[in-house]
Amino acid sequence: MSKFRGHTAIVGIGQTPYYKRGTSPDPELKLALRAIVTACEDAAIDPRDIDGFVSYASERSDAPKLMSALGTRQVRLAALSWFHGGGIPGALNLAASAIIAGQAEVVAVYRSLAERMGQRLRVNVAQSDTSPQYLVNGIESPVQILALRAQRLMEADGVPRSALRAATQASYYHARNNPRAMGRHMLVDDQAYDHSRMIAEPYRLFDCSRENDGACAVLVVSAERARRTPKTPAYILSVPMGTMAGGGALEENWRPYYSTAGHKELADRMWAESGYAPHDVDVAQVYMNNNAMGIGSLVDHGFCTLENAGEFLAFENLIAPDGKLPINTSGGDLAEGFIHGMGLLPEAVRQIRGESTNQVPGAKLSLMTGGPGDWLSSTCLLGAEETL
Amino acid sequence: MEYSFEQHRITGGIGADDEYWRGLERGVFQLPRCSGCGRWTWPAHYRCGQCGSWDTEWVAVEPQGTVFSWTRSWYAFDRVIERKDDLPYVTLVTEIPAAGGTRIMGMLQGDEAGLRIGAPVRGTIHPPCAKSKWYASICWELVR
Repeated sequence: MSKFRGHTAIVGIGQTPYYKRGTSPDPELKLALRAIVTACEDAAIDPRDIDGFVSYASERSDAPKLMSALGTRQVRLAALSWFHGGGIPGALNLAASAIIAGQAEVVAVYRSLAERMGQRLRVNVAQSDTSPQYLVNGIESPVQILALRAQRLMEADGVPRSALRAATQASYYHARNNPRAMGRHMLVDDQAYDHSRMIAEPYRLFDCSRENDGACAVLVVSAERARRTPKTPAYILSVPMGTMAGGGALEENWRPYYSTAGHKELADRMWAESGYAPHDVDVAQVYMNNNAMGIGSLVDHGFCTLENAGEFLAFENLIAPDGKLPINTSGGDLAEGFIHGMGLLPEAVRQIRGESTNQVPGAKLSLMTGGPGDWLSSTCLLGAEETL
Repeated sequence: MEYSFEQHRITGGIGADDEYWRGLERGVFQLPRCSGCGRWTWPAHYRCGQCGSWDTEWVAVEPQGTVFSWTRSWYAFDRVIERKDDLPYVTLVTEIPAAGGTRIMGMLQGDEAGLRIGAPVRGTIHPPCAKSKWYASICWELVR
């Protein structure tokens, strides 16, 4: 049996309001503090007791900048999980591993973004590490790079446009009930979707995530300590990080190509470690920097195949409370907002607590996938006590 | 010879592909293969992960291949703003069978009719200019 499975849990979640990019009244560091302190209040844990700080990508609100404002007694763990949005469950992996190994007790996993402190998110995401192959040839944004993958997924692998539309419409449908969601008043019917402007073919505007200011945090503690906190713990069953052989920083030369998400090997490890299978999952928060990549991730996780993705990705299947696999029940990256994907994690926890604004009744197994198509990625299966 | 790209260096990525850009500036489309095991390695790297060799041989290859993937950009993104006036433009990922299926990017030029995955293309080398960030570049044309 895994030394990892079920030995830690998320016991606190915190989110600031989401702002349109560039409009946060607070700088990043204050947003990070707000999210972390909110997560502490949620878990009834003193912020001074946080001894571990883990984030991912290009996070700038690091432990040394946070600690005097939190009253930190001791920093025992401070780490970044490479690379981009692929690093979110990976950050949980670092947190949980440290707790299991006795290297930290209360670990905050968080991400904070405010555009006026830095650059457009898409530039921030790229971390000035885009190679000349792309930039010389008119490609700079993640959406353009991911469009190359989506073109393969659709044109070569045959996943229909209707699957992308359904993922978008399910996200906006769920956003209606979420007061935090930036897209809650937006009606994306077939007409609105089909006529939205083209960004980078095959991606239209509504296929793309947003860019928002805000911060999200979760607190991870041992399973033992979790049982002494007030809210229902979301146990970490498996959060593998990594990539397959033939993956990495290969400038579209992956073999096999990431037309799905490069998540197959990760997902296989997650199912093996958790002891569960796709049909056991109650609800999924699927990272959608762009919807086709998230669909690729669902294929890699085994929820559907390239052949039947069009059938599986039907609106009715994707919505709470009764869909076969409700996805992005907060609105997700497309319709709630995009704090580099971090908002998906608190929603995955709320589903286990029964606190979502689009609750799947009795949800016990809650999936959150990391950034699809990232050079390194990770994926996360959370479970209620009964799943241990 | 003084190379334009060396004065306008883009630092992202692995960064072992200087010979590729030098080749293009001299008018040669050349790709790397491992001197030890002969494996085509792209993007270029410092060591062959298959045989352990540190040596690379740069081989001139006919710029011919097929469209592996493509996107047509409709938005003027910040870091490629030099191409604003060309919107919408198509970027290809081209697979080169003569180089072990190495996939190289480049702009599509000429008639776009018939653009699809698998379509044969032929490349021409273009000298450094502002649009290609003062790197020489290869542009692809659909073979009719």
